[in-house]
Amino acid sequence: MARPYPRERSNAWFLERWPYRVFVLRELSALFLALYMGVLLVLAARVHEGSSAFRDYVDALQSPLYLAFHAVALLFALLHSVTWFQAVPKGLPLRRGEQRVAPALLIGANYVAMLALTVLVLVVVLS
Amino acid sequence: MRRSNEPLFWSLFSAGGVVTALLVPALILVTGFLVPAERVEFGRLEAILSHPVGRLALFGVASLTFIHAAHRLRHVLVDMGLRRFRGPIAVAAYLAAIGGAAWAATVAFA
Amino acid sequence: MTQAPSDATTIRLEIARYRPEQDERPVLERYDVPYRHEWVVLDALNYLKDHIDGTLSYRWSCRMGICGSCGMMVNGVPKLTCSAFLRDYLPGPIRVEPMANFPVERDLVTVLDDFMEKFQAVKPWIIRDGEQPLEEGEYRQTPAQLADFKQFSMCINCMLCYAACPVYQHEDEFLGPAVLALAQRYNHDSRDQGKGERQELIWSDEGIWDCTFVGECSAVCPKHVDPAGAIQQAKVESTVGWYRSFLAPFGRG
Ligand code: SF4
Ligand code: FES
Repeated sequence: MARPYPRERSNAWFLERWPYRVFVLRELSALFLALYMGVLLVLAARVHEGSSAFRDYVDALQSPLYLAFHAVALLFALLHSVTWFQAVPKGLPLRRGEQRVAPALLIGANYVAMLALTVLVLVVVLS
Repeated sequence: MRRSNEPLFWSLFSAGGVVTALLVPALILVTGFLVPAERVEFGRLEAILSHPVGRLALFGVASLTFIHAAHRLRHVLVDMGLRRFRGPIAVAAYLAAIGGAAWAATVAFA
Repeated sequence: MTQAPSDATTIRLEIARYRPEQDERPVLERYDVPYRHEWVVLDALNYLKDHIDGTLSYRWSCRMGICGSCGMMVNGVPKLTCSAFLRDYLPGPIRVEPMANFPVERDLVTVLDDFMEKFQAVKPWIIRDGEQPLEEGEYRQTPAQLADFKQFSMCINCMLCYAACPVYQHEDEFLGPAVLALAQRYNHDSRDQGKGERQELIWSDEGIWDCTFVGECSAVCPKHVDPAGAIQQAKVESTVGWYRSFLAPFGRG
């Protein structure tokens, strides 16, 4: 008599293999993006309050805690950027006639755009 | 079978994903490292944040980031096993995002 | 013959056995089989069945990666066992288990009913409003039109992508990678007119929207179908359709 063994579900599937671990880290990058955006908004609010409030917040930003947070947030933000660019050609399979536009081209274009925007931000802020 | 309204959330999620992927590393570089290193002048920041374009950009980037994060976290929490709370998680996540966007508006247009 | 890079003479297999008449649950059994440089895991299983234990059950047919029946978990990763060389797993042991995310019928044989049902649900055939008269000749297709769906038509229904998909593992209703790629294959076929019929199911929560783009389906696919890409494209199309349905509420949704 057939008695199939039911399929197994794992509560810890996302820890079991590297691709799944990377997936969960990729998704959790969103948490750090949101937290960072909170910090950015606080900074903006302090700027609007005036130079002494800003000064106080700069002191806070110099603390090891904030620096560590920003270092981690930067790593997650980069993970987000890399994985996001990687995914672009998956959803947009551009085609030129029979030929598919090389995914690397689309991905590369995203990096170029990111670089250009980074330079723009630095120029606006620093010059 | 009811047609999913996921396209609404997914398109906002994607817009936020693009904006954050292109811009957030640069922003962290500036406010997380250059500002504490005192390489950025207060007057310059004040000018940027008071300029209409600056205000609009701050509001746009911040609110899209919150929506992006809410949507992503909502799904990853379910994937990580909180399936039973799928509904409440979704509501809480999007409400938090709306709250975040409102906060961003008050800061940006102060 | 190429020279064997290893002087191993045997290799150990750890095989999940499930004999419903005696086992409560699958148990790992260990077997030592001869090691041959040119052997794949399926060869080792065949040796085992022929010489050591004739009761071992598993599926296979073509031995050349085209029938799609020999999929199993090899060291925890979904693989076609006819394409997984022993030499890539030296020095062993090699753990061979039935494909994850499916009920187990016996030993390495899984129950496929759920997949078969979902497979049919997306109507994987060309749907026409009406056939064009014979004298108009065949339905012609340009190379560009063919290229639009060809990749999605390469699927061999091996179900490795299902074994790799955590969403399928947890969501009973989720249609899953290969089936959704198959839907794209017909939706993008210039001869097909059934997109509207498929849409309701595909664009629902049980269709593409349960997918969170883990992406492992595409990584394990032996035929480069890229089901994850297919689903992403369907999400884009569904989103365009969703917004369009507001712009033209009386047009076709
Ligand atoms: S999409 Fe690839 S992995 Fe999935 S069933 Fe088809 S051939 Fe196998
Ligand atoms: S035996 Fe046919 S694909 Fe492996």
